[in-house]
Amino acid sequence: MVLAMATGLAGAGAILDTWAVVGRATVEGYRASLPASATLAVRGLDEPALARVRAMPEIAAVRPRRAVMAAVQSQGPWRNALLVALDDFDARELGRLQPEGGAWPPPDGTMAIERSSLEFAAATVGEPIAVKAGSAEPRSTRVSGIVRDVSLAPGWMEHVVYAYATRATLAQLGLGGYFNELQLRVRDEGGGRDAVRRIAAKVRDELERAGVRVTSIDVPVPGRHVHAGQIDSLLATQGAFGILALGACALLVVNLFTTMLAGEARHIGIMKVLGAQPAQVARMFLAMAASLGLAASLIALPLAAWIGLRYAALKAELLNFPADGFGIPLWALAAQLAVGVMLPMAAVAWPVRRACRAPAGESMRDIGIVASGQSFTARRIGKAAGLTRPLLLSLGNAFRRRERMVLTLLALAVGGAVLVGAANLRGAVRASVGNLFEAQRFDVSLRLADPAIPAGLEAAAGAVEGVVAVESWRGARASVVTADGASSDAFTVIGLPAPSRLMQPAVVAGRWLHAGDDGALVLGLSLARENPALLPGATVILAIDGVQRSWTIAGIVDNGPQPLAYVTRAALDAVRGDALATTLVAKLAASSPGGQLDTVLRLRAALGDAGMPVAGSQLQGENRRVVEDHLVMVVDFLAVMGWVMIAIGGMGLASTMGMAVLERRREIGVLRAIGASNRAIMFLLQAEGLVITLLAWLACLPLSIPIGALMAEAFGRIMFPVPVPFAPDMAAALRWLAIMMAVSLAACAWAARQALRVTTARALAYE
Amino acid sequence: MSLITMRGVTKSYPGAGGAFNALTAVDLDIAPGEFVAVVGPSGSGKSTLLNLLAGIDRAAQGEVRVGECLLGAMNERELAAWRGLGVGIVFQFFQLLPTLTAIENVMLPMDFCGRWPARERPDRALALLAQLGVSDQADKFPAAMSGGQLQRVAVARAMANAPPLLLADEPTGNLDTRNAQALLDILADLVQDEGITVVMVTHERTALHRATRTITLVDGRVVNQMQAAHA
Repeated sequence: MVLAMATGLAGAGAILDTWAVVGRATVEGYRASLPASATLAVRGLDEPALARVRAMPEIAAVRPRRAVMAAVQSQGPWRNALLVALDDFDARELGRLQPEGGAWPPPDGTMAIERSSLEFAAATVGEPIAVKAGSAEPRSTRVSGIVRDVSLAPGWMEHVVYAYATRATLAQLGLGGYFNELQLRVRDEGGGRDAVRRIAAKVRDELERAGVRVTSIDVPVPGRHVHAGQIDSLLATQGAFGILALGACALLVVNLFTTMLAGEARHIGIMKVLGAQPAQVARMFLAMAASLGLAASLIALPLAAWIGLRYAALKAELLNFPADGFGIPLWALAAQLAVGVMLPMAAVAWPVRRACRAPAGESMRDIGIVASGQSFTARRIGKAAGLTRPLLLSLGNAFRRRERMVLTLLALAVGGAVLVGAANLRGAVRASVGNLFEAQRFDVSLRLADPAIPAGLEAAAGAVEGVVAVESWRGARASVVTADGASSDAFTVIGLPAPSRLMQPAVVAGRWLHAGDDGALVLGLSLARENPALLPGATVILAIDGVQRSWTIAGIVDNGPQPLAYVTRAALDAVRGDALATTLVAKLAASSPGGQLDTVLRLRAALGDAGMPVAGSQLQGENRRVVEDHLVMVVDFLAVMGWVMIAIGGMGLASTMGMAVLERRREIGVLRAIGASNRAIMFLLQAEGLVITLLAWLACLPLSIPIGALMAEAFGRIMFPVPVPFAPDMAAALRWLAIMMAVSLAACAWAARQALRVTTARALAYE
Repeated sequence: MSLITMRGVTKSYPGAGGAFNALTAVDLDIAPGEFVAVVGPSGSGKSTLLNLLAGIDRAAQGEVRVGECLLGAMNERELAAWRGLGVGIVFQFFQLLPTLTAIENVMLPMDFCGRWPARERPDRALALLAQLGVSDQADKFPAAMSGGQLQRVAVARAMANAPPLLLADEPTGNLDTRNAQALLDILADLVQDEGITVVMVTHERTALHRATRTITLVDGRVVNQMQAAHA
């Protein structure tokens, strides 16, 4: 019992510890970095314009910077990179960076790599790294240091290498030296994101009055890391399962104490005959429950702390935060200890009250095998199924302590339902990713170093051997302009040929793009969820590269977790005043990764030869694997609690069977006295355990549907909504059944061995 | 020719104050068809004697032989198989299995031992219940029966595999006078009509009148053996 309680407490405690540590690490760490309240994409920023912004009373600090996309290569393949140039690397009032090794600030001619992308870049301090941007030839520089920027999502997760260098370095690399972004920190973020947006809009107006062009504004939720919501949702969901696990523990404690009290009935009766008050006897058993809880807590606390700290380090890694140096707060340990001691006391309160109020005479009677409840329905089914009498006996025995059986079943079934629900969700996630990539009927996307004329681009690409079909797309950054003139977060709007052959997403509402759709906008599901007022038929003003224009929302499509919108390329050309493409997507003849890579190399070479160099390329197969891995990782985190609950359920079953043996010691003696062999007794107990397991399995199947839906809801909040099927994943359900049957057989074998150790004479003896 | 032979049988149990001798150097012969009542004060070794005869306990010294079987030489598996076919046991508190009906309780030993073909078992069980006057209770669960009916079903169960020996541990201890008398009649009939040997531990003074022999135990020793006048 102590072990089962310790398992549940450790599971729930580990989640609490993780939550506490990650909470401290992120809140303290993120706020301490003084992240930017807003980032404006600008053109023509100069010192007088900066001075005007600095002079604004709402602004606490500003920092101009240059951010450019490029490709880098160290000891691995070429990787997309975001290179950032600053004038003041040691600024204390905005976006503090933490040097973690090597030279800092990066000397001219070198760059510092953000630590979360170091491994992804396959870079080493002191080693050279090649940088390529646009049509320029690759140039070499050197990695001089490592830095941590807690405001960034991890580079390994985003598939981007973040690097920091001086403006002089970027100029040497042919990446220009002027500022194109302005980060600012407002004095008071208390008004929330909308208030910051209004201030950012004022800054934009001020900059534009100074002749600076502002093309987009990004305003994150103040004081909140970009992934904090996802991690909170994940931990909250796991916390809910932690509470369920504790509930399963409580059921187990009730079971065990009820049996123990039944065994102690005679002693309780004797104590009462000797003058003990029911309350005195009750206090004795409550103290016993508390001491068991204390023992379980003493096992669980260090285990939970060990798991929690490691789990917190993993979560912190996902958030790009250092969790080192953050201990488990005292309140979390105190809460676990309090729950550990109070939970068994609360669980046994009712059985103890009942036992202590029974008349002393009744408690002291011992008449051997006692009559108890049974299920006539189960019996009828068993008889109809032609079960033999020993099997009928097992079936009947399973129902004899209905309350206990229900509690055991519940603990087992909930664990199974969580696991099957997680399998359901996993299947749904994979199916959704499958649908998502099925809609994208191309195999590779190539980002051009410079915009190119679509006809020439498609002609050059189409002539490459192994290329089946191509399309030219155009991308731009856009933001929704609200009535008060503020801008939403910037997102990417993609201009496609209409109709597109290589992009046919599932339409959730309205319709997809048609030929001639000049002012039609189709939103991705993620963007539509962020802006619930943007429904098909509504009009919206978008600022695209500083140009504002009204669009009518034609539809909403399922495009996965990325906030994207789609228009026709012609419409985007009209906004930009030219007809160019920034991306080429291609369907390839080869289906193997190797074959596709060969074709991509030929494609890159052909486009380079045609004067349209490629800045970066991405194979959809690799993309899909990365997306799936990340999504399934979230599902697996959710499934962990299912395993904890199965462990508790398994222990519950073992203890239930142990209790059944203890209670029916005399009955087993009678069976042996009337000729039942040890093997027959073993068979009876095994069959009884299997009946409970089978019933738990049957109960977990319908239960897995709502639990799967709850998990899908949680997943939807963490990642993106997935439609979960209204039928359990039978393969997972059968796997769970097989595992639990094995657990049941082992548990019952153990219980039966205990029973058979007692001699028949002793089993039949009366006290 | 004896059905039961005990020679120099000693059985002791460990206790807080040292080993306690439940039986000491007991010699006993019981012939087939005897109805033996074992009497004596509490702690005299009556139940221990019955347990040794049933093969559910082992003697520390001496030998216990029932029919051809030397019980001390048999392992647990052999003892279980022998017990199923060779001995019927009746308990004071009936000890019927509450999740099975009366007829199912009677058939259970047949299932364990496989003595009768499966299709014959219901008829045999019903016949036994009829013989004991409780065939109308066949489909009832123990919880729905009276004490007298329960003990009759228990005797039917003990007779399920037609054992030559019936051991009864205070079978009337939990019955009223009328039912106790009826049960003793049944046991006497089984001895008389079917030649079964019955060894019964009892406190019931009237039971002594039915037995053909009364063995008195005191402090684990046989202090008296008395043949009944009617034997």
